[in-house]
Amino acid sequence: MNIRNNIVLRQKLAAEYVLGTLRGGARRRFETWLHQDADLRRLTAEWQQRLAPMAEFAGDAQPPKSVWRAIERRLGLERKASAWQFWLNENLAFWRSLGMVSTGLAALLLVVVVTRVADAPAISYVATLTDDKSQSAMLVTADQRHKALEVRLLSAAPVAPDKSLHLWAVPKSGNPRSLGVLASNRGSFPLTDKAIGADVALLAVTLEPKGGSPDPNGPTGPIVYKGAWMRL
Amino acid sequence: MCVNLSRSVAPFRPVTLLHQGSAVSIAVHSLDPQQLKIWLMAAGKRDAAAFRALYDASSSKLFGFALRILHKRELAEEILQESYVAIWNNAANYQSHLAAPMTWMATIVRNKAFDHLRRTDAVVEIDAQQFDGDVMNALQDPQATPIEALQMSGDAKALAWCMSALEGAHRQVVALAYFHDLSHSEVAAQLKLPIGTVKTWIRRSLDKLRVCLARREQA
Repeated sequence: MNIRNNIVLRQKLAAEYVLGTLRGGARRRFETWLHQDADLRRLTAEWQQRLAPMAEFAGDAQPPKSVWRAIERRLGLERKASAWQFWLNENLAFWRSLGMVSTGLAALLLVVVVTRVADAPAISYVATLTDDKSQSAMLVTADQRHKALEVRLLSAAPVAPDKSLHLWAVPKSGNPRSLGVLASNRGSFPLTDKAIGADVALLAVTLEPKGGSPDPNGPTGPIVYKGAWMRL
Repeated sequence: MCVNLSRSVAPFRPVTLLHQGSAVSIAVHSLDPQQLKIWLMAAGKRDAAAFRALYDASSSKLFGFALRILHKRELAEEILQESYVAIWNNAANYQSHLAAPMTWMATIVRNKAFDHLRRTDAVVEIDAQQFDGDVMNALQDPQATPIEALQMSGDAKALAWCMSALEGAHRQVVALAYFHDLSHSEVAAQLKLPIGTVKTWIRRSLDKLRVCLARREQA
């Protein structure tokens, strides 16, 4: 049956499809047409828009709190968000109190970097990441001339062969942004705004499965090193 | 960044009042589709706080809807949960030019509820005589009854207005089909009407609704 030129029939079928009274073979046929017919899809969406507000005629009813908790648990929302937020708040306070010391340390390390590199990079940011005992473990420099982010392990604990170190920029709010995965004890990554944007609060390195975090939205493993950018 | 959207606006919170022994939720503001859209799109970008705000704003409406379809509280809770999981998982595919956020979410709830009933072969008791009498009565004379007080979105108010212009029996036929996933013949059996009559009433009612809603939109 050709319904393309029969606008009355098209309206009727779309409406009854949405209402639910189009059944069986007629419904399946209609769904096949929907795939091939953008205008029919538009008509159907319009009918959804017309009839769906009937849902509100049912009146409101407050669902129990357990429903949200179950949704949160199933989607893993609470754990991820609050753990990062807690970690970030704690660390921001720590780094603010340590600002002076870090700047001194960064400046010292910078001398080492600059004198060793022949093609003198324009280092604009530097960060020394420390481990849980506040030992310097990693040096990160941002070279704006070469648009490069250089990472070097200083005195790191060995990484198991099935693991990788993953570097992140942690913004003041929102998910951490992946900067790169270290293949060896040093790495070079392209420098973009996601690494040195004004909203970046900290840099962090997590221990992840080989190749980096499997979750596109953030780390899955523990934080092994962390530190803040120092602008030079 | 999308993650900050949810913090820049005060979240909508339904207030629960005790009314004749049952919890009645009264929305403080009417549902603003623009706000819901912002939250839904942010949820599509994995913003958990925006998703929470979306849930707080819409869950009492969608739970009321699920309850009306399923009648059983526990089952309605389960379907509501399923629906919000699907909303989160599909939020990135939401196309705002095709459907208002409430339309999109209500369609998910309706499909989940009907899927469940079909899968379990469950029979929902339908009292056609008394069916939705409360709501339908409230809609019969929108001049006299405060549609505003029903706390419906603008879309729902427009539809209520246009449905109130239908004959009572015609309106009941449309609502039975919509809320209970009934075919022409099932509606006919419920209301003890000839199937041809049901088909005609539905076709005419849908035509009238389309014309009436278009007219309201132009006005």
